[in-house]
Amino acid sequence: MIDRVFTMMSEDPSMGPQLREADVPQRFEFDDLDLVVNIRAAQAGETTNLHWEWTDDVDWSPKVRMKMSSEVANRYFQGKENVALAIARRRIKTGGDIKAALALIPITKPVFAQYRDMLAAEYPHLQV
Amino acid sequence: MSAPSLREVAEQVGVSPPTLRRWLKAGLIPQYNGGWTPAARSEARVVARLRARGHSLEEIREAQHSGRLAFSYIEDLLPESRGQLTLDQAAADTGLEPALIERMYTTMGFSAASLEHISDEDLQLLRYAAAVLAAGFPLVAFLQLLRVYGQALAQIADAEVRLFHLYVHEPLMRDGVPGLEMAEEMEELARELLPLSSPFMDHAHQRFLAHFVEQDVIGHMETDLEDDLGQLYVAIAFADLAGYTKLTEELGDETAVDAVERFVEAVELTLPEDARVIKTLGDEAMVVGPDVGALTGWAVGFQTMYQEERPLPRIGIHAGKTLYRDGDYYGREVNQAARVAARAAGGEVLVTRPVVEAGPDYLEFERIGDVRLKGFSEPTELFLARAARAREG
Repeated sequence: MIDRVFTMMSEDPSMGPQLREADVPQRFEFDDLDLVVNIRAAQAGETTNLHWEWTDDVDWSPKVRMKMSSEVANRYFQGKENVALAIARRRIKTGGDIKAALALIPITKPVFAQYRDMLAAEYPHLQV
Repeated sequence: MSAPSLREVAEQVGVSPPTLRRWLKAGLIPQYNGGWTPAARSEARVVARLRARGHSLEEIREAQHSGRLAFSYIEDLLPESRGQLTLDQAAADTGLEPALIERMYTTMGFSAASLEHISDEDLQLLRYAAAVLAAGFPLVAFLQLLRVYGQALAQIADAEVRLFHLYVHEPLMRDGVPGLEMAEEMEELARELLPLSSPFMDHAHQRFLAHFVEQDVIGHMETDLEDDLGQLYVAIAFADLAGYTKLTEELGDETAVDAVERFVEAVELTLPEDARVIKTLGDEAMVVGPDVGALTGWAVGFQTMYQEERPLPRIGIHAGKTLYRDGDYYGREVNQAARVAARAAGGEVLVTRPVVEAGPDYLEFERIGDVRLKGFSEPTELFLARAARAREG
């Protein structure tokens, strides 16, 4: 599912180039699934805008780290989870350059609607 | 329509025909090329204004040569603000009392003198106002709305002009572009930009309206009608950067302003849906929201996000009945919230008893004690808000 979200961001004609330009490597940890994904802007020669790997064994360092459950991630990508409130509720834990992460919020907002559309069409049980 | 005569232009500018002739002879109106084009008339208006402010002909010539007056040509792209209608004629047309029109004008921030020369566009504006009142919108509310329109639109227009000046006009001057060439370049750019401004603002306005209508509907569901008319029970937060003055001294104004811009932007990006920044003053942002718990939760989360940044924010929150007037919130409770914030240290969220009582269970509050806040005779019970430790892990 997260692969689909990242693909949406990477391939979107507006979000993709902006995220590539912003160049903020991030590490997401979904603790209930024991999964980690590292994502960064594409480098010269790579055809996509974003590149991600489901491991910590990557040759770059994340600038921002976020830890949450898959349920919170699902709510977040539907635009239903306020980051600051989620942090206060300890539903999201953050680390690193949070200002850089905040700068990505307005860029990635269009993905909320795309994600909701995808859920409505394919995974209605995940809608909140 | 034929170009106006020298006599007509002199009258429009407010000088005698011989004076205007003298300016022509002195080369103060370089756009005059045998005819009074809009650009030439604009130059004449600027010369008249500068002469009235005591500038010599030589100073004006020098300013024109260096391009400092180039911006004036853009005036011609805007509708003529000086009309031919009197106040009584406008009153007769719209059915509004002259005194009410006068009040609307001053509330909007228009000069009282402009009531003597009401234009057709002004008259249309007054017809809209009459229609709003005829539809039943209360005058007391409409006057407040006019004040907000006036202040907000004046700020927008001021920013448009200043930013154009800073980022278009000044760079051209620094590059040594000749006065006339500069004027033409700027006029061309402004001619392209001006028609975009109104539709842009109109669309942004519609979007904001949709957002606030939605919030208002939710607000009606979640609050009762016990509040007095014009009063709202809200949570008020003041947030600023601890040590901002020192930062200004150490790193300079520009770096400090950048830090503030990023801070205010971060506040706006992270606020709960129903809360918003009402105003900013220097490094301080005033935030208001109907949901006390959500705003407090936001403050605690925001501080956690910012804990590795410098300077650290400090936030104070209080809740109570406020007077909603002219798009802003007033009253004792607002003052108290500001005083609470002033007592917070960097990284802290300080709150009062009403906030603690509405606080969500994912937060905990440590009582600091009764503190005498500046300007308040009774001590205020203050608490430190933070994420509840029991929920960790």
